[in-house]
Order: sequence, then structure tokens, then C-alpha cells
Amino acid sequence: MNILIGTVLLGTVALWLYWKLPNAEWRAAGMANAWRMAQFTAPRIVVALLGAGFFAELLPPEQVRALFGEGAGVSGVLLAIALGPITPGGAFVSFAVGAAALKAGATSSLVVTYVTSWSLFSASRFLAYELPLMGRQLALRRLLLCLPVPFLIAGAAHIV
Amino acid sequence: MPSLKNIETEAPPEQPARAVFDTGFYILALSALAAGVLVVVLKGWDRALEIAQDEMMFMAVLAPKIAAGMFIAATLPLLLPRDKVAIWIGRESGMRGLLLAAFAGAAIPGGPAMTFPLAASFGLVGADVGAIMAFVSSWALLSLNRTLIWEFSFLPVDLVWWRVLLCLPFPILIGLAARAVFGGRDA
Repeated sequence: MNILIGTVLLGTVALWLYWKLPNAEWRAAGMANAWRMAQFTAPRIVVALLGAGFFAELLPPEQVRALFGEGAGVSGVLLAIALGPITPGGAFVSFAVGAAALKAGATSSLVVTYVTSWSLFSASRFLAYELPLMGRQLALRRLLLCLPVPFLIAGAAHIV
Repeated sequence: MPSLKNIETEAPPEQPARAVFDTGFYILALSALAAGVLVVVLKGWDRALEIAQDEMMFMAVLAPKIAAGMFIAATLPLLLPRDKVAIWIGRESGMRGLLLAAFAGAAIPGGPAMTFPLAASFGLVGADVGAIMAFVSSWALLSLNRTLIWEFSFLPVDLVWWRVLLCLPFPILIGLAARAVFGGRDA
């Protein structure tokens, strides 16, 4: 159902944009751009979804519950935050890992903490994109400023 | 908001190509392969094939949404050229500047290869460190395109809403903190 709603929503916006493009040349450029993006993204999605499926199968539920379940405490928060940066690949990997952990018995608040930590501190993104494109000073300042966020999110998620 | 009308006489801008297979892809592929081999060893071929089949079915279900999302992410940057967005954010200051930067970070689709250069260019057109930080952290925490395509596909709706609500104030707070800590220096 979520997927259907998202598909209708994004499909509508995509059609609106297509219609909004001024002429055939722009439409062709939009399609060519989307095709380039598809070539880049498709192999990653296939590999990531397969990896996530295998990874979920390998997760031992007892250990997941012990580390990230009810009563995991501060160590669960620290571990969830530590796993964020070292998650390889794009958004689908971290969300798939979060979904697998949730199914195996992790709490929602720790999954939210993990996803937040990944979204702010993904090491592959930081090293491959942020550091070279933003420069050392801005990249490190951003890292420093964002450091408290997953901890605050973990605290807030725990309360709600 | 930059007008979409003035582009009618112009040609669409060229977008740079990217290498499809890079280090990130190989790390991902090796991790997936290692997990797959482990499943075959521990649970057998049948289970591994079953999982692979399920995942490909899921992929087929997601495909229309991903295609629509990619078209948006590929087309919007053509219509909203980065220099226009940068100038638009650069001329604002104060709380308005932070709010605008945070809104742009969440709303403008695009991966890291597009977002970080855009953020870096803000400084050149007059945006302060607070706006740059609000933009980048808003993109990282709240990217609308990513949430609609990926997050809602994998995670339960209520969890996604909670995460978005909890993260909502942070881009502004990070922007304010950036001004307080780094604002005075080397502007």
C-alpha cells in the first residue's frame, strides 16, 4: 500500500515535470539524463536488494534481540550509531538493513537511530564525495556539528 | 522561486556522465556475494534461490516508483540550474536564509555528486556557513525523494513519520550552531 501511494505520488510529479518541460529538445534531454541515472543506479539496486535479502537471512534473531531489542540500553544506542557510518552503498542498503533488524526484533527507536547515523555519517559518501567536493574545512565542520544529532534522536525516540 | 518560463528559448544544459562501476559498487557487490555464499553454505542452494527470487519480485514491484523518482531527480536539476538555486539562497540571510536552505535541501532531488558541489557553490554567491550546513544536513536527514522512493518501501509508515518528525528541527539547529561556532571566522 505504501509502495502504491508512493508510486502514484512520484508518477504524478514525474508526469507534471514532463509536461512542464518547454519543448521536445528538453524532454529528450530529461529522458537521456534519467536513462544515464538508471544505468548508474540499476546495478546497485539489484546487488543491494540481493545482499539485503541474504543479510537478513543470516541475522540471528536471538542476538539481534539481545543487542537491539527492548532493554538493550546505552550499548544498543552506541552500536546502532557505530553501524551507520560503516554501512556500504546507497540509501536502499541502510533501509533494507534497518527493515531486516526490525523483523529480527530490534526496537523502532534503535532502527531510527541507526538510519539517522547512516544518513549523517555514511563513511563511503563522506570519503568519496563530501571531503573532495566540499573541501576539508567545510566537511569536517559539518561532521562536528552533526555529531550530537543521532544521540539526541536516540533519546527523543526512546521517550516517544 | 526561479521561473520555469525563461528557459523556453534556451537549450537544456549538459549533465556530466559518471563511471558506473566504482569502488563503492565493488564493496557493495562483494558484501552481497559474501552474504550469498554464506546463505548457500548455511541454508543450501534452494533457500538462496528463494531469497533471490523474492528480492527480484520486490524489485519489479518497486520499478515503476524508482523510474518515476529517477525521472524527477534527472529532470529537476535541468529546470532548476544550480547557479539559480545558489543565487536564490545566497541573497537571503537570517532565519529566512536558514529556512530556505533547509527547505531546498529536503526538496531538491539528487545524490551526493550533485548536492555537495551545489552546497559548496553557495559560499561563492554570498550564503553564510549556517545556510550551507542547514542545506547539507537537511538533504542528509530529510531528502524527500529518498524518503518517498526508498524509506517508505522498506520501513513501516509510522517509523518513517517518527523519524522525519524527530529530524525536522535539526537542519535549522545545525545552521544556528554553525553560525554561533564558525560564523565569525574567515567569512
